[in-house]
Amino acid sequence: MELSGSRDACQTTNVSASSPLLKQTHTSRFKKVCRIEEESTCPFPGLPAGVLEMRVKEGSKIRNLMGFAMARMQDEPGDMGQTGLRRVVFSGSGRAVTKTITCAEIMKRKIGGLHQMTKLQYKGLREIWESQEGGDSEVTVHRTLPSISILLSKDPLDPLEPGYQPPENALWSERNGGEASQAAEKRSVNCSETPAEPQAKRVCL
Amino acid sequence: MVLPTPEGSTLEMDPMEYTLRKRLPRKLPKRRNDVYVNMKTDFKAQLARCQKLLDSHREICIHGLGLAINRAINIALQLQTSSQGALQLAANTSTVELIDDLEPEDPDEAGEPLTRTRNNSAIHIKVFYPNP
Repeated sequence: MELSGSRDACQTTNVSASSPLLKQTHTSRFKKVCRIEEESTCPFPGLPAGVLEMRVKEGSKIRNLMGFAMARMQDEPGDMGQTGLRRVVFSGSGRAVTKTITCAEIMKRKIGGLHQMTKLQYKGLREIWESQEGGDSEVTVHRTLPSISILLSKDPLDPLEPGYQPPENALWSERNGGEASQAAEKRSVNCSETPAEPQAKRVCL
Repeated sequence: MVLPTPEGSTLEMDPMEYTLRKRLPRKLPKRRNDVYVNMKTDFKAQLARCQKLLDSHREICIHGLGLAINRAINIALQLQTSSQGALQLAANTSTVELIDDLEPEDPDEAGEPLTRTRNNSAIHIKVFYPNP
C-alpha cells in the first residue's frame, strides 16, 4: 500500500477501476471530495510544432470551443509571417470522446479542405477519494480511459499513415458511390444526346 | 399555452404533443468483415465476435454511432492490447444524418407529421495486421 505524502497518519489504498472496493467509495460515503490527477501521456504521437491544442472535457460547451477554435483558425493577421494558424488538435478522453469528434466534424464542415489525422490510445487516470467520515483514509483509483486525438491541418499530411483522412471533397464521391455514379451516368447520357458544340467546350476544359 | 420567460419574451408551446420516433440510420453496405457496435449487446460478446472475425480475416472494420463510439474505441484498443502490439488501428470519423418522425399524439387533431433532422458523429476503425 502506498502512503500518500500529504498526510502523515492516513492509509492509502490503491484500487483498480473494476474492483469491488470502488463500489464502496460510492456507497460508503467517500464524500465527493476527490482530487483528480491525470497521468500525462499527452503529446500527440508525431508532430507538435506550435499547434493549438483544444482539450475537450465532458462538460465543455461546444459553442465555446468552436468559437475559440474557429476564431484562431480563420483570422489571418499576417504579422507573424505565416497567416493565422495551420493546425489544430482536438483531444478528449472517456465521456468527452463523442464531443471531440463532433467538434472536429463541425470544424471540417465550416472550413473545407482540412486534412485529418486520428489517433486512439488509452489514457491513465488517477483519482484520489477521501472519506470525510471515519478517520482519514484515502482511496486511489486507477482508471484507463479510451482517448482520441484528432489533428486537423490545412497543410497536407502523410496519406500512408494509419488514421489519415483526406478532405471531404475527395471522400464524398467514394461514400456516395451509388448515387454519384447514377447521377454521373445520367449526366453522361444527356451529354451524348446534345450536339457537338458543348462537348467541344468540355474537351477544352 | 404561453409561458413568460424572465427576459420578457414569451415562449410558445406546441399546442399538440408529438411522439418521437427515430428513424434507423441509413444502413451502409455490409461486407463480411464489417462490425457495427451498439449499446444493447453485451460488450464481451461483441469483443469475442470481433476477435473471431479478426482470426479469419486479416482486417476488420468496426463502426460506431453516437454513444457506441466509446465502445467501438474500447473494443479496438482491447484487440490491440491482446495482440501484443501486432495490430494497427486506423480511425476515420464522419457525420451521419438522423431523421426523427414526429407524429401527433391525438389522431383527432389535424396534425401534420413533422420530420426533424439531426446530425450525429460516427467512427470507423480499421483493425489490421500491417504488411511487413
